[in-house]
Amino acid sequence: MRRRFLLLSLILAISLLVAACGGGAATEAPVQEAPTKAAPVATEAPQAEPTKAEESAPATMPEGEKFRVAVVLPSTVSDLAWSQALYDSLKRIQADMGGEDKMEIAYTENMWNVTDAAAAIRDYADNGYNLVIAHGTQYGTSLFEIAPDFPDTSFAWGTAVDTGKEKGIDNVFAYEARAEEGGFVLGVLAAQLSKSGVLGVVGPVEAGDAKLYIDGFAAGAKYAKPDIKVNISYTGSFGDTALAAEAANTHISAGADVLTGSAQQVVGAIGVAKEKGVIWMGTQSDQSSLAPDIVAASQIYYWDGPFKDMIQKHMSGVMGGESYALSLANGGLKIHYADWVDKDAVAVAEQVKEKIIKGELNVMDILSGKAAPTMEEGMQEGVQGEATFEYPPEIQPVRIALVLPSTISDLAWSQSLYDSVKDLQDHYGADVVDIAYTENMWNVTDAASAIRDYADAGYDIVIAHGAQYGTSLFEIAPDYPDTSFAWGTATDTGEKEGVTNVFAYEPRADQGGYVLGVIAAHLTKSGIVGVVGPVDAGDAKLHVDGFLAGVHATKPDVQVNISFTGSFGDTALAAEAANTHISAGADVLTGSAQQVVGAIGVCKEKGVPWLGIQADQGVVAPDVVMATDIYDWRPTILSMIQYRSEGVLGGKVLQLTLANGGQRMVYHDKLPAEIVQAAKAAEQGIVDGSIEIVFEPR
Amino acid sequence: MTQDLTLAAIIIGILHSGIRLATPYLYASIGEMFAQRSGVLNLGVDGIMLMGAFFGFYSVYQTGNVWVGVLAALVVGALMGLLMSVVSITLQAEQGISGIGLYMFGLGLSSLLFKTVLGTVEGVQGFSEIKFQITPTISLYDIPILGPIFFNHSVLTYGAFLLVPLAVFVLDKTTWGLKIKAAGQNPEAADSLGVNVTVVRYVAVTLGAALAGLAGASLSISLLNIFQENMTNGMGFIAVALVYFGSWRPYGVLAGALLFSTVNALQLWAQVLNLPIPSDVAVMLPYLLTIIALAMPFRRAAQPAALTRPFTRGEN
Repeated sequence: MRRRFLLLSLILAISLLVAACGGGAATEAPVQEAPTKAAPVATEAPQAEPTKAEESAPATMPEGEKFRVAVVLPSTVSDLAWSQALYDSLKRIQADMGGEDKMEIAYTENMWNVTDAAAAIRDYADNGYNLVIAHGTQYGTSLFEIAPDFPDTSFAWGTAVDTGKEKGIDNVFAYEARAEEGGFVLGVLAAQLSKSGVLGVVGPVEAGDAKLYIDGFAAGAKYAKPDIKVNISYTGSFGDTALAAEAANTHISAGADVLTGSAQQVVGAIGVAKEKGVIWMGTQSDQSSLAPDIVAASQIYYWDGPFKDMIQKHMSGVMGGESYALSLANGGLKIHYADWVDKDAVAVAEQVKEKIIKGELNVMDILSGKAAPTMEEGMQEGVQGEATFEYPPEIQPVRIALVLPSTISDLAWSQSLYDSVKDLQDHYGADVVDIAYTENMWNVTDAASAIRDYADAGYDIVIAHGAQYGTSLFEIAPDYPDTSFAWGTATDTGEKEGVTNVFAYEPRADQGGYVLGVIAAHLTKSGIVGVVGPVDAGDAKLHVDGFLAGVHATKPDVQVNISFTGSFGDTALAAEAANTHISAGADVLTGSAQQVVGAIGVCKEKGVPWLGIQADQGVVAPDVVMATDIYDWRPTILSMIQYRSEGVLGGKVLQLTLANGGQRMVYHDKLPAEIVQAAKAAEQGIVDGSIEIVFEPR
Repeated sequence: MTQDLTLAAIIIGILHSGIRLATPYLYASIGEMFAQRSGVLNLGVDGIMLMGAFFGFYSVYQTGNVWVGVLAALVVGALMGLLMSVVSITLQAEQGISGIGLYMFGLGLSSLLFKTVLGTVEGVQGFSEIKFQITPTISLYDIPILGPIFFNHSVLTYGAFLLVPLAVFVLDKTTWGLKIKAAGQNPEAADSLGVNVTVVRYVAVTLGAALAGLAGASLSISLLNIFQENMTNGMGFIAVALVYFGSWRPYGVLAGALLFSTVNALQLWAQVLNLPIPSDVAVMLPYLLTIIALAMPFRRAAQPAALTRPFTRGEN
């Protein structure tokens, strides 16, 4: 008996561990090192608080008294970079507030030793400063230890987003700079100013705002000119000016004619750039003072807004808890251009900046591969995709639950549905569209209990995303007459059995498959194309049938080899199937279900074009994925919501077609223009009915 | 429809695929065989493989060094094995159940880590094929027919096959092998002869799990060079079945793994060549063969007598 308990508690401990990992990682991911090390503080904080809380509550600033700010800096107030940007901002705030009589600024420089910094922070707090700023990620651990001892003092630190709220600390502010935004704009500018087509980056340490800036810069350069070369080197130090100079020399030897870099070390690099007459792009502080003739532009951090707000909050009795971010949109990041820079180049950079400010361009999405990495692609996608879809202005609040056979990142069947529902949520807000989902429901019995659970929990629409769930659905649906259920690939809504609240949906994959077939027929040189299918049923079967028809309608003599792996998730077997097709002479492949990542991997290795379906698979292998037929579930879901608002809870068969926007063709860069034309003609033909897809006997 | 493909090309294709596909099964099955020979049934192989696949992949993704990936997979596999050992040997939990628990733990944690640190399927430069260059112009790959079948694989594939004679050696020629077999056959007798059954089982399970971790990595950094959630798709369970199939002997396991993967390769080719076999039948073939082989009555004899039976000193 005791053993059983031990085992039970072990399992419990493990599950707790997993849960803790999940929660912690999700919220604290962007924070570098502080949270784990500062954890012990959490237990002390709540006890320390109540005793002093009463005194601190009415701690608003008495009229006429000086507001006292202290800053602990890792370098100097004249480093032309990180520390100076903050100091300059505080100086401006001081001027605004009415000079030194109203606001005092004390600072300690060169606090590269964290222990010394901790002592300085404690000293300032002891001396009654109202706001103590620890200007570096490395100070976080100390800060969270010190802050609870001084509940009347506000503390601030950055680059960080963690205010210690979860540890029970309420007098710490956090701040960060979205340096990738300005970096992106400067990258666009640099790409246009470069004649050699090579850019050099002198980075300090690959972390924090330096990494963000550099990633943004590289992405911006590639966005403007996809073939530009961005050489990046990190010196491993913030202050090693000599090494930074050497790095700059190296970049110039390697052909770079525009340089950038970050941290106080860059003064060394700027010196070299000046000597060699190479253009420089600055960040953090305005670096043009050092070499006005070669510094073309700088991204400048204006910390004014966040710190004004912190002072305001402190005066009104709020000691901390807020996290700030400088961005182009909130004016915290500003771009200064030198007079001599080519006006057309500046105009393009400014256009990109405006796009970022308006939210039309999300640098983070580009960095994470979610958005198109180049200007042309960005425009193309806009024309083909988003522009054709219009959201109804308003929908009824709806709670949607998904029961999925695989995962929401399977790059295929489940992801396509989840992405669409998530798009709806992003558009209407989480209070209008509520989403819950269960993944990996390969066991139909488990799925059935999940479906019932969701219905019990009051979800409006429960989607069982697989043909295998149909039987269970028809048993469950009558017990929940107010809930709408949906399933697919299917055309049976259960009307014959007297079920009235089930929608059936069916992606007409034969349509997209046909278009892909047309592309394949044009692409193949060997006259053989291969299909890596999962199971010969549902939308996978439609895809194969349509593909076959498309190929043969274009070139009747092209041979289509079809193989099924017998599984949706057997990645290794799908890879082997792709190998087999290639050995058998195929030079264009397609396939469906989450297994295909294995096949795409093989295509990537062998340089064989791949035609995708379901979700956009371009991220895995942008070089070989030529086109994708994406399932866009938004129209389908919206019509369910619409039917519900009219009192119709089910009984309709909803199709995803090219005509209703349920399928969307995306053509990637590598696909020759004339083939794109042919594919678009096929799309048009299917939409207007002039092309009839005839299934061949197989 | 006829092809320009020669019979030789098809046979090369099938055997080459079969050998490559056998790689993860071999690592996992040989590892599992050690655990079972010591008397512990570890059903968590699939979960361990997923953990190995993830950590192997992520290490390569971060460092670009494939050997770091191999090391990470081995270490993570061994840690999972230790966990299994604690639960099933020290705490003497029901082995079938705790194995399933370990599987779900590995499945869940690898997915969670994937979502947290990667978020989307990415690729890495994994192990590449070795053609055994003898001189700059001549390699073993150039041997007709045999070359393309045997000498165009990655290091991990060769490693998997070398593991088989190594396992035979360990089991039959070393004291450790003897102790493992004794612990699985008659732990009480082994104990009376001074063998520490608990330690032996710990080592066997941990070693086996390390190999399972490597099996996962062979998928993520050698065969596929990607990581996807649940990418093993139940391979670990096939690996357990292959141990039964191979009558708990390394060469038997090798035969089973090769048969299973070659038939798999064969059925893929059958489909590609448009042979008149329904695809559903084709994909069934490997499993059908496995079931038939498992059903052979003489196989039972070799099962370690104390398999799944916990051992406590001084009882009986």
